[in-house]
Amino acid sequence: MSKLKLSGVSKAYGATLALRRGDLELMAGEVHVLMGSNGSGKSTLCKIIAGSVRPDGGKILVDDQPVTISGPRSARAHGIGIFYQELSLAARRSVEENISLGKLPVKSRVFIDRSELRQRAARYIGLFDGVCGEGFSADTLVGNLRPDQRQLVEIMKALASEAPLLIFDEPTSALDRAQVERFFEILRDLKRRGRGIIFISHRMDEIKAIGDRVTIIRDGETITTLNLDDTDPAAVIRLMVGGAGDMPASQSSVPAVVEGKGGAALTVRDLSGRGFRNVSFEVGRGEILGFGGLHGQGQSAVLRAIFGAGSIASGEILIGDSRFDAANPRDAIRRGCAYVSGDRSRDGVISGRPIIENVTPIHYLRDRLLIARPGKLRDRVAPALESMHTKFASLFHPIGSLSGGNQQKVIIARWLIDRPDVLLLDDPTKGIDLSAKADLFALIRQLAAEGLGIVLYSSEDAELLGNANRILVFNGGSVSRELTGADRTRYNLYQAAYEAA
Amino acid sequence: MSRVVSFVRQPIVVALVLIVLLLYLGEALSPGFATGGQILRLLIVASLLGIVAAGQNVVILGGREGIDLSVGGVVSLSAIIAGNVMNGADGGILPAVAACLAAGAFFGLLNGLGVTLLRIPPLVMTLGMLGVLQGLLVVIRMGIPSGQAAPALSRFVTQPLAYGIPGIIWLWIVIGILLALMLNRTVFGHRIYAIGSNEHAAYMAGVPVKLVRIALFMTSGMFAATAGLCLLGYSGTSFANVGEQYMLPSIIAVVFGGTSLAGGKGGYTGTMAGAVLLVILQSILTTINIEESGRQMVFGATLLLLMMFYGRGRAMRA
Repeated sequence: MSKLKLSGVSKAYGATLALRRGDLELMAGEVHVLMGSNGSGKSTLCKIIAGSVRPDGGKILVDDQPVTISGPRSARAHGIGIFYQELSLAARRSVEENISLGKLPVKSRVFIDRSELRQRAARYIGLFDGVCGEGFSADTLVGNLRPDQRQLVEIMKALASEAPLLIFDEPTSALDRAQVERFFEILRDLKRRGRGIIFISHRMDEIKAIGDRVTIIRDGETITTLNLDDTDPAAVIRLMVGGAGDMPASQSSVPAVVEGKGGAALTVRDLSGRGFRNVSFEVGRGEILGFGGLHGQGQSAVLRAIFGAGSIASGEILIGDSRFDAANPRDAIRRGCAYVSGDRSRDGVISGRPIIENVTPIHYLRDRLLIARPGKLRDRVAPALESMHTKFASLFHPIGSLSGGNQQKVIIARWLIDRPDVLLLDDPTKGIDLSAKADLFALIRQLAAEGLGIVLYSSEDAELLGNANRILVFNGGSVSRELTGADRTRYNLYQAAYEAA
Repeated sequence: MSRVVSFVRQPIVVALVLIVLLLYLGEALSPGFATGGQILRLLIVASLLGIVAAGQNVVILGGREGIDLSVGGVVSLSAIIAGNVMNGADGGILPAVAACLAAGAFFGLLNGLGVTLLRIPPLVMTLGMLGVLQGLLVVIRMGIPSGQAAPALSRFVTQPLAYGIPGIIWLWIVIGILLALMLNRTVFGHRIYAIGSNEHAAYMAGVPVKLVRIALFMTSGMFAATAGLCLLGYSGTSFANVGEQYMLPSIIAVVFGGTSLAGGKGGYTGTMAGAVLLVILQSILTTINIEESGRQMVFGATLLLLMMFYGRGRAMRA
């Protein structure tokens, strides 16, 4: 029996088609896996089902009845429950209250029914008896729990909705093996009771262990639905990658390695810290080293740690031949390290201030300036901006008057006045337009040719394949594979990213 | 057209228009209110407030809910220190200036350390500091007025120095020019705006966020101390809690001048106009026989009204 059926569902954000055509049929008593790379549209699809995004077109049937899901409340009314990847818990409330947060039991219409609350919580906590870990009880505040315990609470909360149709968007990312196994037992039990479950995970082993069927999404389109028993991981990855996956990476210009410059610009040995462990690599002068893999596998954490903005527990960093252990970004900048974040509004843009003041901070620091003479600064700032074809009316207009791509160019221009030795790029093209991307990569390759050592983390595989001389694939906080030369293919990149951590 | 509208809506233009209107109103209520000599007297009072507001201004610009509620306490303390150090002798002025500035810087430093290293919210930190200073004042004075202003200091504050204008107004003008230069033409000034606009981005761009913020609180303490010194010259002797009346108006003057309480936006020129405006308002309230308590209520209501208007303006632009 079909629990849920989507046909031809689409969603556009402005000019970007997030979901071109979504077809999905979920049967009662199955675990249906959704697979697709970052930005392929699977989150949008889930959000449409959960009611937090309204589709532009297409049909949705629940239990063979056409429905309109107008919002999260309406989704709940149609029997749809969701586990959110970004945890949605109230940190200052207890575990038991969070489990029932969606629908608190009341008596006499106004008062919370404490005993019912406790009984209900006990039921779901009991399901995970023995794997919850230390310090986990019904009255612990969620804010005091470890990440894996918080994720368990989020799972319990989704289960407590007792919805006939459950969506789990990466529910296992923080869980350990025993917790995952228990969770899967619970899912199997739900299957037997005729529930329909949509499951998103990037771990191939988990998908094989729990999934019945898989639907693959690529570039906003659901490609096909397969029985997991009739297929193997390689075939699934091939479908996610698409036709040209086995072709070696085509560099969009000559490889940037300049023979003869020689020497390492940046050396990292056995670096461990929050979010990554035992990471070692070397970036030569004139080399672009790519960081690949799924989101949040430690790539950003490593870059931020090198720049002095993250935690380092152990390990060694060298810039050139000298030991480099920046206590903070200020220190790192002074010693020739640059970092560009993809999260412009948090890490980059000094909002409300003129363009020129958004370019000058690094120059102030490295030239130990005290006085800011606009005329003199303009002569340094303007060429830096023009080298990337930045469009602006006046250097004294607020940075907010520019488009996202031009804002990012302004942030990058900071580092061009006094050249660093090492440039760390942390998904620098997030949310910017194609022509700005082209300008940025032209500049990055030029900088490499001038002898900078560059580390590029990108969530877009095409950017890595087109620009990096070597690619390190991150998985669960460490480097799982290094791709060089003809090995740099989309297929290999996916395969390394999706294999079990 | 839209350029005209945006010009008229600038806080400083609004403040200047209001100043002229209030002067007319004062003249109508009490003839002689807006004569030259009277206006000079108003400007002397305004410069005292304006100097306190200068420190308040930079702290607020630095963002992260920056505010300095301890300015009143520092003004009082500085007036007492100055009075006792100089004790009516011109020769004591320089040591008094040094002692006052040192005291202002010291208490500013404590505020700054509390806010940056201990992460105490500025509101709580400086309110606590105000309490400490008030207690300290009671202890060192033991309830007895003490200290005399040196004659030269009194002359500087109350008598014309050049072109018929008293020294304190010249001092205020110099402070105004220096602050405008500092905010717009120095790296330190740009860093203040940077941490006020986006502290994390400033940190990632190598701005020493904590040091700048400590410096802002020290600046505020030193400006408050300067105002306390001048206040002694204005009144001749120091009496109980002279500085208390400056806390709320110094904040209102800053907000009136167009500086956002959220930080990162604004400047000192508007604040100067705001200070003049407040002093005229206060004077009119005195002229029509409204008690101190009534004046405080009007000031409080003015601040709330301003926040309503500015808050709404921001919402409309977003």
